[in-house]
Amino acid sequence: MNSGEKAAMRDYFESLPVYSEFFDEAIDAIIASMDSGISAEKGKVLVELGATNKDFWFLKDGFLKEMYRSPYAKEDSLFNMIPPSSIFVNEDTLFANQRPQHYFTAYTSVEILRLKEADYLRLLQEYPVVMNLIYLSGTAEIQKSRRERLNMLRMNKTPDRIEWVQQQRRELYHIMDRITLAQYIGVSRASLYRAFEKNKKYQF
Amino acid sequence: MLSQKEVERLHYGLLSHMKLQGEVEVQAFSDLSDKFILRNVPDGHALWDLSSNSGDLHFILEGTFAEYLQRGSHSFILRFQRPGKFAFSEDLLLYSKHSDTFCKALSHAKVASLPSVHFQDALRQGGLGAKLMEALINLSMTEYRNTTYQMLQTSGTNRIQAALEQFPDLLHLIPRRELADYLGISRASLFRSLKEIGHE
Repeated sequence: MNSGEKAAMRDYFESLPVYSEFFDEAIDAIIASMDSGISAEKGKVLVELGATNKDFWFLKDGFLKEMYRSPYAKEDSLFNMIPPSSIFVNEDTLFANQRPQHYFTAYTSVEILRLKEADYLRLLQEYPVVMNLIYLSGTAEIQKSRRERLNMLRMNKTPDRIEWVQQQRRELYHIMDRITLAQYIGVSRASLYRAFEKNKKYQF
Repeated sequence: MLSQKEVERLHYGLLSHMKLQGEVEVQAFSDLSDKFILRNVPDGHALWDLSSNSGDLHFILEGTFAEYLQRGSHSFILRFQRPGKFAFSEDLLLYSKHSDTFCKALSHAKVASLPSVHFQDALRQGGLGAKLMEALINLSMTEYRNTTYQMLQTSGTNRIQAALEQFPDLLHLIPRRELADYLGISRASLFRSLKEIGHE
């Protein structure tokens, strides 16, 4: 990895609430094991996350759409938007040994780093305590974010949901087009447009 | 003390989330499951609350619980916990922080509870404890994902249908006002949608 990629990875680990200097040796070992040079142009599906892939992926630059097949929609639907400096995985494969029900497409051009499953397992043997703490802390951040978003999805007024994204997910608010925003907050396009017409402050 | 049938249900629940390898893990599993204690939770009582400071692991034998997220002076139902499933405050049990959620019984309930001290002991010993922790994280993440599927449905009718698929007895568990809040729709929309799918 080049120095910029190493720095991005290190920044991520240092941003975790559990981080302490005690982790540095393990973090250096993780960074030394990671692959780089994986990129995708806007609109492309990340084919690297295939049916059996259990690697850990780090989105260094760009935005990803996490898509799934909803039984209630004709087309595949947006499940989540992934901003830069995020970890993402094939959850179905990693957690339940099943075929992935989600896939990732590049919303902008993206650059990605990877920690292969075999390297993760080797590092887990070498640094069991620190690796478990990092895993715990990383998932805690993902859970916190999911819980807050669920809370937003329970707001029964579209303007409240838009304002939540404006305030809590500023980076996403500025990058998402209106169709993607409507999917992200779980409202119809018509409902989103009505809210925008009523309130100029939502303008991008 | 748990009955033989309850122990079997607990074992089934635990083993559906993790695979044991070798005699040492089988023995550790048996020792750990012996530490679960039976607890009755009357309707409306809390399994854990915002002031709880130890995270126990609960396996639901009977009854249903709702987990609420507290935000300011308001609380919102975050998810439901039903028989045959584990319930726990992930803040307390996994992430060792103050709980942002509380959980109360929606009907008289019976749970098998592993006190926090035994869970933490198992974690310190690694092996089975580490496996259990990973299984609980995965379980929790998957549950949030499933609930998010429901909430991403743009129509009230689809939201209700998705929620009923996950919890068929939902309509009998909570008042309509709370159900509307849980689904993120107005009460008028809830009644229209229920009528549409033949439930009112």
